[in-house]
Amino acid sequence: MGIGPSTKETTLHHFRDPLLDVVSGDEDLDLMGVLIVGTPDGNEDKMLVGRRAAVWAEAMRTDGVIISADGWGNSDVDFTNTVEELSTRGIAVTGLKFSGTVGKFVVENDYLDGIKDINKSESGTETCVVGENNMTRLDARKVTAILKLKMRRN
Amino acid sequence: MEGDVVLKQGEKDLRRLVIKAFHIDCVDYGTDNKVDAQGRLILNRDVERFLINKEAIASASVKIIRPGEWDLFTNSMMDIIPISTKVLGKIGEGITHTLTGVYVILTGVDVNGVQTAEFGSSEGILKERLYPGRAGTPSEDDFIISFDVTFQAGMGQKRHAVTEAHRMCDAFIQEFRNQMKKFRGDDCTERHEYHDIVRPGKKRVLIIKQVAGQGAMYDTHLFADEPSGAAGGRSIIDMGNMPVLVTPNEYRDGIIRSMQ
Repeated sequence: MGIGPSTKETTLHHFRDPLLDVVSGDEDLDLMGVLIVGTPDGNEDKMLVGRRAAVWAEAMRTDGVIISADGWGNSDVDFTNTVEELSTRGIAVTGLKFSGTVGKFVVENDYLDGIKDINKSESGTETCVVGENNMTRLDARKVTAILKLKMRRN
Repeated sequence: MEGDVVLKQGEKDLRRLVIKAFHIDCVDYGTDNKVDAQGRLILNRDVERFLINKEAIASASVKIIRPGEWDLFTNSMMDIIPISTKVLGKIGEGITHTLTGVYVILTGVDVNGVQTAEFGSSEGILKERLYPGRAGTPSEDDFIISFDVTFQAGMGQKRHAVTEAHRMCDAFIQEFRNQMKKFRGDDCTERHEYHDIVRPGKKRVLIIKQVAGQGAMYDTHLFADEPSGAAGGRSIIDMGNMPVLVTPNEYRDGIIRSMQ
């Protein structure tokens, strides 16, 4: 498993990313930056890069993180670990990831309640239609709203 | 944030990025790659001259797909790329010129018909394989420049060969970029202004993007010479997949080249 056609974020997607538009346009939030983290092969490396991402966030005195991924399967290990590393540091986390019917988290933990499924296909599968299961502006608005609630609670 | 900025007390404007869009409504074949600020783009069919590494890539071709003509076969889509260039400053600040109404789709297959993909491939009839109007896909009203690469046997699954295909496509796009740098800014059809703003006292938020970093068609490049470019880019794999911080404006100015 990895990144299929329907979930992959193209170069054009990054150029017009709805998540960045929504968060940067919200005057109630101080958007500090975008942290790009890779998805390595080995398990030890997966744990390491997630931990380093969380240390960055903590050092920046981050109140909240929105995390997104465009793959599923083995990259869930990275995703769930990073969410856990952030959450145990007291940082509110929400996120966007494809699950559908086939891409439920292959590993789970107690910190995934703010993660929204971005599946758009009727079948809930990797349809091999480029862009079909991409995040949209509505997805971005939902996780931003949920993050605000979570940060208020913290 | 976008638009004219009115700073509230205590807020700080770190930098400004202006993206000027030039809408293209006529794309045709001709003898040279040409683009003008009046909406015309001319495409030279010969792209073999951009082919450098013949051990990786056997051949390449380019084709115009007009709005409403999505009823044709396409090889698996490796990437969809906006045509943008820096006019002033570095990525994330200054002025960028970009085209709207036309986007490049890079597709790939090898000489034996093996599609270039990692986890599911998108070859088939274009209208059944491309969801229109997403942030990362063209709309049905856009022109598509289809840049189709044929890899040597097995090379579509090799990381260096996939990178080579992106670079080849990038060298082709650069011919348009070089002309776009000279466009008069006042001729743009849209002007967008973005500011990185510090808002003291507000909740501090970070976006984390988990991106591909394992090999061929599962790779992400950053820091290319041009917005959404390939030349000069560095692979997140070569950077150990470690977290790399970019400003909101760097991100929206095309600091990422998607290679999955």
